[in-house]
Amino acid sequence: MNISMNELKAALRRCFEASGYFVGNYEDAANMILWLEKHGLNGLKELEHALPFIDEDSSKPLSSVIYEDSTSAIIDSHGRSALNCIAAAVDLVHAKALESGIATVTVHNCHNRMFVLKALTDCGRRGISVAAYWQNGDQNMTEYTAAIKAGERYPSYSEATTCLSASPEDKQALTIICSSRVNLSTTLNHRNTRLLDAEQVEINKEHSVNQGIEISPALWAEINRIGAAVLVENSDRSRADAGGH
Amino acid sequence: MITLAAIQTSMRGDNALPLRPAAQVMNLERLGSIHQSRLSFMRSLVRRIMRERWQITPVRFELDAEGYGHVVYEIKAPQGLYSFVLFSSYLSPEARNDRVIATQWDLTMALVAGQVDDIYLEKLRQNVPKQEAGRVDARVFVLSRANRSARNFDYVVDQLAKGEQPDIQQIAKVGYLYRTTAVYGSGKLGMADWEKVRSHYQDFARPFAAEMFVCLMLRNFSLVQAEHIARQRTPDTFQPMRPEIKRYFGIGNSTGLGMAPYLVNHPLLINRWVEMRELALARVRALGDISPRILLQLNELIARCAQHTRETHTEDQWQTENNRRTLRDLDALSTQLQEPLHDWDRLIEWSEAHCSLQGQEMLTSILLELYPALVDDLEDYFCAEEFLDLDPLMPLQTLKSVIETRYAWALDTDFSAEGARDTCWYRSEEKMEPRLGSIIDAQARKKQMALGVGYAVRRCYDHLCAYIEQNPDHNTARFMVARPKLRGIVRRIQSMNRCIYGDIQANLLDRNVLPMHLLRCKLAFFGVSKFDPRSRLWVRNTMFQGAPLLEDIGNRFGDDWFMPLAPQQ
Repeated sequence: MNISMNELKAALRRCFEASGYFVGNYEDAANMILWLEKHGLNGLKELEHALPFIDEDSSKPLSSVIYEDSTSAIIDSHGRSALNCIAAAVDLVHAKALESGIATVTVHNCHNRMFVLKALTDCGRRGISVAAYWQNGDQNMTEYTAAIKAGERYPSYSEATTCLSASPEDKQALTIICSSRVNLSTTLNHRNTRLLDAEQVEINKEHSVNQGIEISPALWAEINRIGAAVLVENSDRSRADAGGH
Repeated sequence: MITLAAIQTSMRGDNALPLRPAAQVMNLERLGSIHQSRLSFMRSLVRRIMRERWQITPVRFELDAEGYGHVVYEIKAPQGLYSFVLFSSYLSPEARNDRVIATQWDLTMALVAGQVDDIYLEKLRQNVPKQEAGRVDARVFVLSRANRSARNFDYVVDQLAKGEQPDIQQIAKVGYLYRTTAVYGSGKLGMADWEKVRSHYQDFARPFAAEMFVCLMLRNFSLVQAEHIARQRTPDTFQPMRPEIKRYFGIGNSTGLGMAPYLVNHPLLINRWVEMRELALARVRALGDISPRILLQLNELIARCAQHTRETHTEDQWQTENNRRTLRDLDALSTQLQEPLHDWDRLIEWSEAHCSLQGQEMLTSILLELYPALVDDLEDYFCAEEFLDLDPLMPLQTLKSVIETRYAWALDTDFSAEGARDTCWYRSEEKMEPRLGSIIDAQARKKQMALGVGYAVRRCYDHLCAYIEQNPDHNTARFMVARPKLRGIVRRIQSMNRCIYGDIQANLLDRNVLPMHLLRCKLAFFGVSKFDPRSRLWVRNTMFQGAPLLEDIGNRFGDDWFMPLAPQQ
């Protein structure tokens, strides 16, 4: 079925609000998913992977900074989804880059790292260049990278499946490099790399703006089912609270 | 034509114009006291249609003798071709319900990009009359519905069928034939997103322009339909309505709480609307030449506003008292103007000392009306990019100081006082419509929406002060890693600090909060008149009363339908 971007965003906000995400964070989570889907990067598929676990994060510790100096930091996200912790990590590397010219933040124990792309894009729009790299999978590990130049609206993205195995410490890690001085761009050194350059990302966005978003009825129903928990059931009282037309 | 750079230098820096301060302008009661002006969206839309001479033609007109059926109008605007499609169905009096939860209406309609062929018309017929229960695609960018004001409609048809004109006194009481109960856009029900409308349909690339256009077309249809039925009923005696009486018919509107959260959830957009209105006033204060012609026009407008207010009928005691007070203010203003007037600042200061907020804001609208050349070009700047961005580098001491200056109103509110947090806003299962409840209702309290910006700022400030004690050298990014639950409010504070006016200054959780002010504020930006509150939570009003008719397009146009008056019988 076809829905508008606004419908998807509103439903996702309710879904994450109902799942215990806090104010500001449920908007971020909704925007991260919408951004990927709108730009042809399978945000809804990523959401399907994340959906069974989204209410588990409320019982996990908040991210903690385990190392920090003027140009770098290491953050432990304690197994949280990027949907509720990656924006703060990008803010931190952004701030360090503004102060030092270039900075790196590594995030450990973070799921759904693909969602970092929205936060990277916000940095580009605001005049700072940023790149990210992460790996996924045990055997035949897949590598991912994305980068955006200062002042741009669209990042480039590439992924490649290798025949290498991931080391345990890299499995749920994400490295973010940010610079206020240099324009960063990334490409994977692998012949099977799937590359979406910034131009293609923009074309994908145009398509979504024109046509809306395709979503499976089952996923749409599930998002709305979860989100219904923020609605108050009908009663005489709730009707009276509308003003008694 | 003014540029964005000129606007920026008019609002900031050493050459800025004398803008009214945020503490004055963003007060909720004042925002709830503003009136329509020549920057209101209806006025801007009609100016555009008239100046660009849009061609609006009925290409299908398939109504039976009772006015049921469908019509399609094609709209040729300079940058696109659109279709307005309307379905008219029989609705029993018992099924006629203005509440948003209704499922049937007299009229349903859609604004669509491009021409509509038979196949697409059938698709629309399957979905548009169902409204929320139907689905449309991204060619559609507005959906709406309307119910008859049955008594008025039948009366007007009877009069025209008899060859007589409607009685003006009666129209002055209810100045419309139909009331619209919802106007949907921005991607609802599968429609085109605002991003598409803004980038692809340039003719409607201003806030709510497409929604206002549908209401204008509805107003046109209501008059066409009444004449059609009367003509079919008694062709021998039928007389069309006189144009000046037609123009006095607007379209009714019922607005409830659904509009209120919009103002809180779109702070950058609302700030922009307020900035443009205030910049217009500042331009008038600084640049508006006071000539004998302007003074004459000023006195005429004051008299017109007084007459318009006298012709406003409401059973609501609160609104009646507001209207009476406004009349006293206008009377006092007329007396004051017998003294020599040399600058607008004096007159505005006088109004601030002697008039109610409604009276003061009426004067603002009048002053804008006097100077089209200083005001109208700002209408192109009512859109805003709505990014609430975090400033990660901002030192925490700076963030604290921003809160102390920009949110002094929130810090001055005693949230521990009785009643200060008794109200909660929540969404009902019924079409997810907002409701205003009490924290006594456990469900409502648990599921309340985050509209208490003032209280959130207060809590953020308290956390921030405690954090600074431990980490005086940290910046905002580091604070956000440690306190991620505050990310939403911190980025709002920082983003609104980049604006001239910022957030609405009111505790929306207070037991005595008046949501009517929020509704009225947005409706005034739309350009409605004749506010008629039906409770503290919803209001009837009239749109496009006095506006030109479709048949006026292409004729001379004075853009002078501010505060319209009943025509002489």
